[in-house]
Amino acid sequence: MPKIQFINPEEVRKAGEITFNPIPVNQYNKTVEEEKANFSNEDLIRIFRDMVIIREFETMLNQIKIRGDYNGIAYNHPGPAHLSIGQEAAAVGMAYTLGVEDFIFGSHRSHGEILAKGLSAIDKLSDEQLTKIMESHFDGITFAPVKNNFSGSAKEMAIRFLIYGTLAEIFARETGFNRGLGGSMHAFFTPFGVYPNNAIVGGSGDISVGAALYKKVNRKDGIVVANIGDASMACGPVWEGLSFATMDQFNELWEGDMKGGLPLIINIMNNQYGMGGQTCGETMGYKVAARIGAGLNADQMHAERVDGYNPLAVIDAYKRKREILKEKRGPVLLDVLTYRYSGHSPSDASSYRSKEEVEAWEAQDSINWFGKELVKAGVATEAALEEIKAVTGELITWGLKLAIDDKVSPHMDMEKYPELIGGMMFSNESVDKMEDRKPDVNHPMEENPRVKQLATKERFAYDETGKAHSKIKTYAYRDGIFEAIIDRFYKDPTLIAYGEENRDWGGAFAVYRGLTEALPYHRLFNSPISEASIVGTAIGYAMCGGRVIPEIMYCDFLGRSGDEVFNQLPKWQAMSGNVIKMPLVLRVSVGSKYGAQHSQDWTALATHIPGLKVVFPATPYDAKGLMNAALQGTDPVIFFESQRLYDIGEQFHKGGVPAGYYEIALGEPDVKREGKDVTILSIGATLYRALEAADILQEKYNMSAEVIDARSLVPFNYELVIESLKKTGRIIITGDASARGSFMKDMAQTITELAFDELDAPPVVVGSRNWITPAYELEEYFFPQASWIVDAIHEKIVPLKGHVVKNNFTENEQIRRNKLGV
Amino acid sequence: MAVPVLMPRQGQSVETCIIGEWYKKKGDQVKVGDILFSYETDKASFEEEAKAEGILLEIFYTEGDEVPVLENVAVIGAAGEPVEEFRPGGSKPVEEVKTETVVVAEVVAEKPTVAIRESSDEAVKISPRAKKQAETKGIDYNQLQGSGPGGRIIERDVVTAAETMPVMTSLAKAKASDEKLNVGAETSGLGGRALAGDLTSNNQVYSTDFEVKKLTNIRKLIAKAMHASLQNSAQLTHHMSADARTIMALRKKLKKDFEAGKVSQNITINDLVCLAVIRALKKYPQANTHFLGDSMRWFKKVHLGLAVDTERGLMVPAVKNADDLSLEGLSAQLSAIAAQCRQGNINPELLSPEAATFTVSNLGNYGVEMFTPVINLPQTAILGVCTIVPRPKDLGDGIYGFVPMMGLSLTYDHQALDGGEATLFLREIKEQIENLTI
Repeated sequence: MPKIQFINPEEVRKAGEITFNPIPVNQYNKTVEEEKANFSNEDLIRIFRDMVIIREFETMLNQIKIRGDYNGIAYNHPGPAHLSIGQEAAAVGMAYTLGVEDFIFGSHRSHGEILAKGLSAIDKLSDEQLTKIMESHFDGITFAPVKNNFSGSAKEMAIRFLIYGTLAEIFARETGFNRGLGGSMHAFFTPFGVYPNNAIVGGSGDISVGAALYKKVNRKDGIVVANIGDASMACGPVWEGLSFATMDQFNELWEGDMKGGLPLIINIMNNQYGMGGQTCGETMGYKVAARIGAGLNADQMHAERVDGYNPLAVIDAYKRKREILKEKRGPVLLDVLTYRYSGHSPSDASSYRSKEEVEAWEAQDSINWFGKELVKAGVATEAALEEIKAVTGELITWGLKLAIDDKVSPHMDMEKYPELIGGMMFSNESVDKMEDRKPDVNHPMEENPRVKQLATKERFAYDETGKAHSKIKTYAYRDGIFEAIIDRFYKDPTLIAYGEENRDWGGAFAVYRGLTEALPYHRLFNSPISEASIVGTAIGYAMCGGRVIPEIMYCDFLGRSGDEVFNQLPKWQAMSGNVIKMPLVLRVSVGSKYGAQHSQDWTALATHIPGLKVVFPATPYDAKGLMNAALQGTDPVIFFESQRLYDIGEQFHKGGVPAGYYEIALGEPDVKREGKDVTILSIGATLYRALEAADILQEKYNMSAEVIDARSLVPFNYELVIESLKKTGRIIITGDASARGSFMKDMAQTITELAFDELDAPPVVVGSRNWITPAYELEEYFFPQASWIVDAIHEKIVPLKGHVVKNNFTENEQIRRNKLGV
Repeated sequence: MAVPVLMPRQGQSVETCIIGEWYKKKGDQVKVGDILFSYETDKASFEEEAKAEGILLEIFYTEGDEVPVLENVAVIGAAGEPVEEFRPGGSKPVEEVKTETVVVAEVVAEKPTVAIRESSDEAVKISPRAKKQAETKGIDYNQLQGSGPGGRIIERDVVTAAETMPVMTSLAKAKASDEKLNVGAETSGLGGRALAGDLTSNNQVYSTDFEVKKLTNIRKLIAKAMHASLQNSAQLTHHMSADARTIMALRKKLKKDFEAGKVSQNITINDLVCLAVIRALKKYPQANTHFLGDSMRWFKKVHLGLAVDTERGLMVPAVKNADDLSLEGLSAQLSAIAAQCRQGNINPELLSPEAATFTVSNLGNYGVEMFTPVINLPQTAILGVCTIVPRPKDLGDGIYGFVPMMGLSLTYDHQALDGGEATLFLREIKEQIENLTI
């Protein structure tokens, strides 16, 4: 919503029509003979060889899956193998022109792409570079079996390294590219520019956009290719990624060298099936997937369909499209037509297609056809090509033997090191900046209007006499978050932030007010209202090495980015064998006043998923300290805020919120008020209601409550809580989440296990009702109130003399509600 | 001017006393000499008289309270006089007037009371924390009525119970915890403390078909002393009989003399036996001893203990320097201490087992023919005197006749004395009795 863009009613209301440029379909028509001018014989033979390697690799896996045997070598592979037999020309054509610095992202069916891109990179890397890569990857763990079982040139060695590393990964060996933690559907190898493949259909559709954003914002060489299937074009996150990638602002608003489109090619590996569903004629309506580009921007994403059965056609397209990206006119969409003979997976009986159809495609098999073309053009003899096939058979046999040898290629030793995987869930690093260079900013921090304004604010809520400062003068919760974030913007040049209304507006809750003045567009911008793309692109940005703060406004919108938050963000550090870091802080805010779809505390969803850190500060001091710590780390943090908190001043930390930098370690709860008779453990904004309850307990019932603010949920140190329980023997856990299945319940259970003998009553959870959140006027019946806490103590922990309850916390009522599911 | 009523100090070794009964209540008018309350030491019961006239303004300790000696127990004074300054450990009179009025919500901390469960049919509900505490403190939570939700026993119930129910000795706590025992209806320790021996499990046979009567302090003391005696010594008893004709004749004569006013005391058989014993002890000083484990105390003088049966229980006062006394003097002293015991005003110092060097327990009046008296430790022996029965006796020249014979049962600590010397000592008593002269 920049003011410089004037929406002129005279213009936009004018009659007219939209015209489209023709979308090219299989326009390439050169022969090998003609292409001899552009390729050496060696180049052409290498294209053939790469296709053969992929074919043999996949055939071997197919036989292992179907027959449990390849070339007399028996092996049982229980895991997945989504094969791409038939798609080799598309993969090799895609990868052939790519440099090492170009990144590819893939799908569940990406063995061929890994090999093609790897082979392409090996061809382009020097022997020294290759040796260095092989020797440094996991300190040579992957390389050792290769080196010990083969001697040859660096390039030959590297090819074997590629085959072996991929295969060992597929077979879940510790020597695999990702320590066997990624497997067939997630294998990758970043030194060759192969970025994560993704078992979620369309998973790379937004992550790859973030990778392209990383390249652009950080001025990195190279382009990004997203290899996603034709069926994934139906997925919401893919559309969201495309929408994000084609935002006008890259051309209209981003300035200087940042002006222009993303270096991104959406490469639809169109094998014409989504599992068994035919995308043309059955499950989609686009007929030709290239049509999609026309719906996204005026450039129609430079989309065209390319014949993926001819490697030279694909190479030709990539040569032309790279020029477009160089001119910053991306992104590009390619519809690379291909076909897989193999089923979706080995369990696929191909009941959805006829034998004739498969045979017709096999008759036009790209390897056979291309081989004949090479012979016809005099590039190679038939015997030479047969020799390539024979050598490849030996290569794959060698790789298989080595990868299934338990002695040289063991699985992770979970007996000896039972916490190996646990140790990989987080990288737990402390890093000031992800890159050492001068950050792009508009002015020195001290000249920032918000920074200047904050200097005049009262950093503690009360004056010496205990009187509260006026709201306007008080340094508030939102200021704490702002200070931590602007500090990092001036420290870490890779840091970017985006989401809905982040620029100009300053975020829906005014946390970013002042950042617009400080930062150029490419570091702070408004995203489409599409949370999947906000989080998904941020994941791509972070996994390439940048720090990022995506913000999705209301917590309720986590659902819109469900796959990104639950399936992508938490997985990649461990699934990469700790190759990848994920320095990403996702800001979400628990709402109020806005009803059922804008008021939910979904901490439970975030805490449930292994691999995410989750914090929920309730005071300005904690908000700044935890944000600093989150931004200093290299792990994904879901940073919960609450709209009930943004205006609140610091009421606890003596001396107020420090102006300088400090961190509060994630995972440490904090005693906000000491007491001895009952412990109240609160999550988030409910802290203030817990304190209110503590006041009532003290004044009316002479009971002193210890109030502990959880601050962090994952990780969480229970020791402080247990210590408190030793004193009080009683605990109430409270927060704004609906009680059923909440993290409060999880805490109650853990506390019961850890401190059973300390308990004078069961830990009692006082959460929100298991209802829709009603309107503001009725919220007091939904969110926990101080009186609820007192009533629950009276009813379930210790009867309070003379107390008259207002709320029903009886066991009968609890049973009734559960019976009804409310 | 109000004056405090102090808990009197009864003997050097007494540190605390337990209030038995208040005969006056708060607000009563009292005169000097009115009995205010009774109290017990370990060894005896006493009554405290008012030493000032006025209104009993305040009572600080109630029946059953254990009160340190010389502590203020009550206040006597004129109506309306302040009493707070006398309250034990209480506040000093407020000297400064507060300048600031702080309004604090008034919260009265109630004195917790222990509720005992009425029905035992329902399963006991108890929190883990309360259970743990009950086990540590040795509280039988099965008896408690919980004050938590749904009647759950919670920590405060156990804490209250611990404060008001019998306090256990450390040994008892450990035993109760280890063996899942509870304090029984009766406790025998000092101040009602439960000893390890007081722990019981719930009885399935008689359930609650009994009445619990608290032991008196004296009973507890006797129990403790008797048990200790049997636990801590190697005692055995020799029986012998003495020809009682001489002593009976003596008694007859002395009775006539008393009636005739020739002697001041009505000399009893027991007095004569005691005289005989004192004389025997002078010959056998090894029996006039205390056995102390690795040493023995040999006494030069005889301090004779006499078992006295009273309504409160057995008491054994001592007669100091009994060997210095004439028969009349001895009789007078023995009669006086017995009377003091029965009246409850005996000097506690005389009741200490350490006070006597040898004890005589006479059950002759009750027709007991033979018994095994229990040594009053650390004394080494005790003589049981039995009833006189006619027994056949060789009167000389093969002529047998029935002679009144007095049974003598000497219990001695084999740790201190051997059978031979004990027998010789007993025979000496017999001979002293048979040949007693004055």
